[in-house]
Amino acid sequence: MSGLRRALGLVAVEGIVVGLVALAIVLSSDRVEGKAATAVLGLFLGWSWIGVGLYAWWRRPDNRFGVLMTAVGFAFFLTVLVSADAPALFTIGVLFSSLYLAVFVHMLLAYPDGRIESPRLRRVLAGGYALALLGPLPTLTVADSDVLGCECPESFLFITDAPTLFRVLDVITSTLAVVLVGYILYVLVKRWQVASQPQRSTMAPVLWSGICLLFVLAGSLTSMAVDGPEAVSDATSLLGMVIFALTPYGFLFGLLRSRVLRAGAVTELLHRLGDAPDRSGLREMLSEALGDRSLSLVYWLEDKRRWVDAAGRPATLPAEDDPARAFTRVEREGRAVGAIVHDRSLCEEQELVRSVAAAAGLSIENERLQAQLRARVEELRSSRARIVEAGTKERRRLERNLHDGAQQRLVALSLTMRLAQTRVHKDPDAAAELLGGAQEELARALEELRELARGIHPAVLSDRGLQPALEALAGRSPVPVELAGTPPQRLPAAVEAAAYFVVAEALTNVAKYANASQARICVSRSNGHAVVEVADDGVGGADPGRGSGLRGLADRVSALDGTLELRSPEGAGTMLRAEIPV
Amino acid sequence: MCCRILIVDDHPSFRASARVVLESDGFDVVGEAADGASALEECCRLRPEVVLLDVQLPDTDGFNVCAAITAHAQHPIVIMTSSRDGSDFGPLVTTSGACGFVPKAELSGERVQELLRS
Repeated sequence: MSGLRRALGLVAVEGIVVGLVALAIVLSSDRVEGKAATAVLGLFLGWSWIGVGLYAWWRRPDNRFGVLMTAVGFAFFLTVLVSADAPALFTIGVLFSSLYLAVFVHMLLAYPDGRIESPRLRRVLAGGYALALLGPLPTLTVADSDVLGCECPESFLFITDAPTLFRVLDVITSTLAVVLVGYILYVLVKRWQVASQPQRSTMAPVLWSGICLLFVLAGSLTSMAVDGPEAVSDATSLLGMVIFALTPYGFLFGLLRSRVLRAGAVTELLHRLGDAPDRSGLREMLSEALGDRSLSLVYWLEDKRRWVDAAGRPATLPAEDDPARAFTRVEREGRAVGAIVHDRSLCEEQELVRSVAAAAGLSIENERLQAQLRARVEELRSSRARIVEAGTKERRRLERNLHDGAQQRLVALSLTMRLAQTRVHKDPDAAAELLGGAQEELARALEELRELARGIHPAVLSDRGLQPALEALAGRSPVPVELAGTPPQRLPAAVEAAAYFVVAEALTNVAKYANASQARICVSRSNGHAVVEVADDGVGGADPGRGSGLRGLADRVSALDGTLELRSPEGAGTMLRAEIPV
Repeated sequence: MCCRILIVDDHPSFRASARVVLESDGFDVVGEAADGASALEECCRLRPEVVLLDVQLPDTDGFNVCAAITAHAQHPIVIMTSSRDGSDFGPLVTTSGACGFVPKAELSGERVQELLRS
């Protein structure tokens, strides 16, 4: 930082020296009327620009705006050379007499961050610089002092006296300048129109003085082109000078005002935060402190690793390259607690946003805890609703299965038995055949009932525990299954049931989708949790959202405060893992 | 006693058993249908005198099919059947235009004749 300060100090010294040289040139000139006034005004203008420019440069070293302001000041001092009596200095002075205007336009177009991103604007600016440097050439090459109407020294570049050619070239350059200034005005006004509220308050002082100055410039160029009365030209150029002189102070005023307001805003905010704001109150306070009505707050839930809004609903942060929105993280004791989502223009005032974030840290932390609670409640509410819904769906499925399966078989059986009864005397062989068919039908009905009863709740699980129940599941699986272990002691019934259904669902999925050659089940106790793992060596790539099976299982596990995790990288098998507190 | 009858049910096992039972009791089973839409088609094509109609069908429910069949002037007599109990359906059997209800497990030519006579 001290390096920057030294460099800026050097530039400041150069500015002072250049200003004093300019002063000397004006005072020693034979031609200038009102030397003292001209000298003082010129010095005041140049130094104003250089001084404010250096201040802005020092405050925001990353922003090129200060550099451009300083450059305007130096370029302005070049115009003083026009007053010089020596032909060489006079020629250079005329050649660069409009350069400061080009730099000024550059600064306006690059406001507020000092950069011009649009290629079209860059081309326009290049045109501006070209015009500023080529525009004075006719004066220097084909106009003699009679045409110029002054006692000027002869130009170094003078070729011949051609008054008509000079007039033509002068009108062309003036017209081009008017068109260019008009276009830049259009760009600036357009920019103002699309700016957001906070952007406008940062833009206002510079943009408006720039727009006014360009209007005046366009006016004076037009009057020069049409050769209007001299009084109008003088008046407009005086007005232009006044606005030009005021522009750096407008910028300085804006900068200081925002600093004063910023200090006031943070103090005010700290004061009001003491009154324990409610949910919307905190947002309102921050939005007032930062002057951004669109501001919103989001909170970081560490356990879920996601952002939520105040109501606990999932929220997303604006992208890094979002042109309109940006966010500032709020941290407490090195942990993220939330973020302030704000207008991108506030990035120019990082310090303010950071101080506001720091001031509101504790309140945001409190809000975060509440948001976390709301997210939890919201999650519980929806999982409770899903459990009820799953219960209803399960009953419907059972009724359907009973109706379509065992009940139909028993109906058919009843009819067959009746037929057999009517034939037992008339046709005993046919009756025997019917009874044989009935026997088979009965066996199938029994098997279906057994399957159904097992799906409702496996009796072996409650009677004999996890080991035999899981062995039975493994035995019925079409894919070979290794049961690596179960806890030696019985677990609570609800935990055993959840573990059983996790394994059952996992094995069903292995058989249906995994294309695996084997699977492995392991149930263990660790850190007060029952850990259930089912892994296979299949194709992986399982979608957690597939079907309702996993969803229902996750609800069942989370109803016991447990977690369910599916790991299924493409081509590397699938692992379903549940952890349930015991 | 020979009565032309159409059996409508989505379970093939029941259709087969019902056919055997009814035929052995002297009914002429002219056709079978597995859902509501084909029941209506077969009714028009085969013109049965009686339709034995299951309540639960895959595309619609039996009461709707019954209402559609009995909406025609020269319609067959409809007898509803189900593996559920008749009391599960409340007044639906009578309001749908059916002549009566017989539980599937109690189906016989005799029960159908009784309903037809009533």
